[in-house]
Amino acid sequence: MFIEVNHAKKQYGKGEAAVFALDDANFSLEKGKICVILGPSGSGKSTLLNMIGGLDSLDGGEVVIDGRNITKLNKKELTAYRKQSVGFVFQFYNLIADLTVEENVQVVAEIAETPLDTDEILSALDIEKYRYRFPKELSGGQQQRVAIARAMVKNPKLLLCDELTGALDTKSSRSVLTFIEKINREYGTTILIITHNEAIAGIADQVVRIRDGRIASKEENANKISAKDLVL
Amino acid sequence: MKLNKRYLRNIKENLPFYLSASILTAVGLVLFFLFYIAGTGISAFGEKFFAENKVEDASFTTYIEIPDDKLAELENNYNATLEKERYVNQKEDGFTARVFVPNGKIDLYEIKEGRSIENADEILISAGYAEENGVAVGREKMVLRGKEYTVVGTFLRPDYLYMLENMTDDYKNVTTFFLAYMDEGEFTSVFGAGSYNYKVVYHDHNRIADFRKAVNADYYVSSYLSADNNARITFVDGQAQMFILAAWVMLVMLPFVTVALISIMIGRKIRSEQKVIGTLSALGYTKKRLTLHYSLFAVIPGLIGGVLTSVLALILAKPFGSLGLADYEPFAPEFTLPVWIALAGVAVPTLIYWLCGILKIGKLLKRDTVELLGNKVGNDGKAKKILARKKAKVKVKMAVRSLAANPGRSLVVFLGVFLGAVIVAFAFSFIDSVKAVGEQAHGEFGSFKYEYILNTLEDGNPSDGEAVLVAPFESKDGKRFSVMGVDGDNTLWNLTTQSGNRADTENGWYMSSLCAAIFGLEEGDEFTFVSIASLEEKTVRINGIIKNGYQNYIVSSRENAAEIAGLAATKYNAVLSDRELAIDGSSVMEIISDTTYETQMDNMLRSMSGMVYAMMIIGGVVCVAALYAVINLMVSENASSISMLKVLGMEDRRINSMIISANHLLLIPGIAVGILAAYGGMAWYSSAFVDVENLIIPATLKWSSVLITIAATSVCYFVSLLLVRRKVGKTDMVESLKDNRE
Ligand SMILES: Nc1ncnc2c1ncn2[C@@H]1O[C@H](COP(=O)(O)OP(=O)(O)O)[C@@H](O)[C@H]1O
Ligand SMILES: [Mg+2]
Repeated sequence: MFIEVNHAKKQYGKGEAAVFALDDANFSLEKGKICVILGPSGSGKSTLLNMIGGLDSLDGGEVVIDGRNITKLNKKELTAYRKQSVGFVFQFYNLIADLTVEENVQVVAEIAETPLDTDEILSALDIEKYRYRFPKELSGGQQQRVAIARAMVKNPKLLLCDELTGALDTKSSRSVLTFIEKINREYGTTILIITHNEAIAGIADQVVRIRDGRIASKEENANKISAKDLVL
Repeated sequence: MKLNKRYLRNIKENLPFYLSASILTAVGLVLFFLFYIAGTGISAFGEKFFAENKVEDASFTTYIEIPDDKLAELENNYNATLEKERYVNQKEDGFTARVFVPNGKIDLYEIKEGRSIENADEILISAGYAEENGVAVGREKMVLRGKEYTVVGTFLRPDYLYMLENMTDDYKNVTTFFLAYMDEGEFTSVFGAGSYNYKVVYHDHNRIADFRKAVNADYYVSSYLSADNNARITFVDGQAQMFILAAWVMLVMLPFVTVALISIMIGRKIRSEQKVIGTLSALGYTKKRLTLHYSLFAVIPGLIGGVLTSVLALILAKPFGSLGLADYEPFAPEFTLPVWIALAGVAVPTLIYWLCGILKIGKLLKRDTVELLGNKVGNDGKAKKILARKKAKVKVKMAVRSLAANPGRSLVVFLGVFLGAVIVAFAFSFIDSVKAVGEQAHGEFGSFKYEYILNTLEDGNPSDGEAVLVAPFESKDGKRFSVMGVDGDNTLWNLTTQSGNRADTENGWYMSSLCAAIFGLEEGDEFTFVSIASLEEKTVRINGIIKNGYQNYIVSSRENAAEIAGLAATKYNAVLSDRELAIDGSSVMEIISDTTYETQMDNMLRSMSGMVYAMMIIGGVVCVAALYAVINLMVSENASSISMLKVLGMEDRRINSMIISANHLLLIPGIAVGILAAYGGMAWYSSAFVDVENLIIPATLKWSSVLITIAATSVCYFVSLLLVRRKVGKTDMVESLKDNRE
């Protein structure tokens, strides 16, 4: 398995006020697949994604990525892990306002060990025509494509998307998801998408449902469809 | 909704800002208070001391002694108080004592330590020398002209609060010179008649001119020095007034940075709270009420700074006050801070901040409630699109745009660096310039090693050295200068004009550049002045200017000078020499050697070094405080970019340098402008205070000082970066990504 999460535990707060964001969660995913994690707000989706992405540390259990146990890494090693292996996309694009589209991507390409060609990734996401624009001059969907390009330029094995269409209208959402699909196809990137929007599950190879910090169900998607056919 | 609780919470959330703003305010205020306290304390002490001890209005000497009964007659006729003062300059091994017989009416003394003279073998000495040399009052014995005296007390005297040995000196001498009092009978038995001069206090200022003419008619005035021209007396209030001026400059200048900081801070606060503001105004809060609420955030640093200041002022008043007293005899003025000044000190910056807060909020509240609710205000993002298509390092492009897009923030960084550099560089420039005075002054006088100023008028030529005639005169408004006569073949007095030629003294008059600066004259101008004896007017035409920023004189041939002074053409009263001469000590009034100025300037630097170093520290504090606050702000503002870069695996160091390094671009201009401004300030000071200082200070800033300034400012700059650095490390990736929108 490419991703293995075993008995993951994460607790916020203590005593009466304690919240178990992850409560003995077990999860695994094969390389090169698209996985959609569904669950209501507060169910622990982001927490799970953050653990897999090496943003936060577990209180119990382990996360193994491509055979490597990242639970044991120190801060510096985690930074290196994120730099080499993980791309992140969030609901809010968090682009650097003072940089153009091209520069936002370049900044990240500069730190990558085996970056993709900037022009290539810009054209893959169909944003090369905006390369000299600044984030404020773009629509939400366009900005999110820049965010994906920025995450992808490092050529990571794993792309983690937290509510990436959460702030977008249906048309933009569909377009963004089309590019996600394309990336998975062209670069073989393993992609994890978390959302509370059931409809998105249509593009997944695997669908995981999470509730109260536990994995409620995990199934292969027999009716996988193309993103452009999604009814959002 | 309870709005008031929010002030405290806001302080907690923006601690670095409030801390820096309060420190900056306090530094400005403390400097204001301390300079003000020192200035008014010295001024008030001087006034009281002068009145109580009957400071003179003038002193003068005459060629013919005025008989005692005639003194009384003059007093009656011209409504004045007159007193003949007996003294002698006694040069011993290692020191010179100016021994007086105590006066009864004018320039009285006040005992500082010990007691008055009771026996013939007792003396009093001036307090400054006693303190500087650790003279043990009551025990220490001193030998004057071979006789031993016990020092039974020290004293202060109104015409010697600033201990200039000679009137031509530029700094006090308390290391090798002091005043002494001796019993009158003892004085006569040891020194004989000694020298004497007359002291006068006028009770009717309309009769001064008549008095002076009458004295000259009967007794021939040989010298006359009004208190206004007597640096020993004017320096007290002169320096006090300069302190008071400095105080007000500080009060206006330093809160400037804080104002810039506050306006950024308030702007940020309001932008981040526009939804709240929109909601509140939709709920019916009036604009007035909202303005009041938010503008009060700006008042906080003023108030905290005010409290901090009271504490600091209490602690620092004494040490700082004594720094301000370094130039004087050791008097102890009462340093008090009038309540209204204390209140004004706190109120002025607070009001400025408040006003700035109101203006800033007024501008933002002009926007629609709907716009505010939609979080749209302040996201206009102008002026950022620089270099979009240019090939350059991304880091550099980001830096340039970030500076351009945040002019207020950039201004604070610039000001922080600038103020640090300007204060440090000014302190250095002061030291360098004073040193330059010491090094260059004598060269501008001439190539002589010794100048002997005689207290007698000689005739013909000296057996050794070159003869000079020096006679004091006054401008029409009473400012003193000298008329000099030198021989045409004089080799030792500097006679090179500013155009590089030798002054043709046989055929015209030349003026020192100091004289030209003081009276505002140029080559070709006519100069009208009056004789200090007869008050008769004279006019000469200035043929050229001789570069000499230290001596206030006009010069021509000995004949011309003698004619102006009303003397025979062959008279002289000073001798220049390139080696030490064996001239009878009793006929020498003053010796200027080629090291005199250097020694004086060294002494001045020594006694002022405390204040100079204090200034440098203050410069550093201002620099670090301003930069720390604004860079902290910068990190907060960029929290979402920082988290995102962290998430994408960029190391903290690299992020730090990307976000913060924008400021590097301001470091060099800030330092450069600071250094130029310091040099300019010194040049301005030198020209604006020619009158007070009585010399043209050659504004100087050595390369070594420039380098140290650059180094010191850069250190302050990088210290503030270091302080902020931790903040990037502490930025929580997950937290700040959660609720951050572009
Ligand atoms: N930093 C935190 N401090 C306290 N509680 C947290 C924190 N992060 C998440 N939680 C809690 O953990 C639970 C799971 O949160 P999260 O993983 O963000 O859910 P989701 O992404 O599914 O909406 C929620 O109850 C949330 O309130
Ligand atoms: Mg979430």
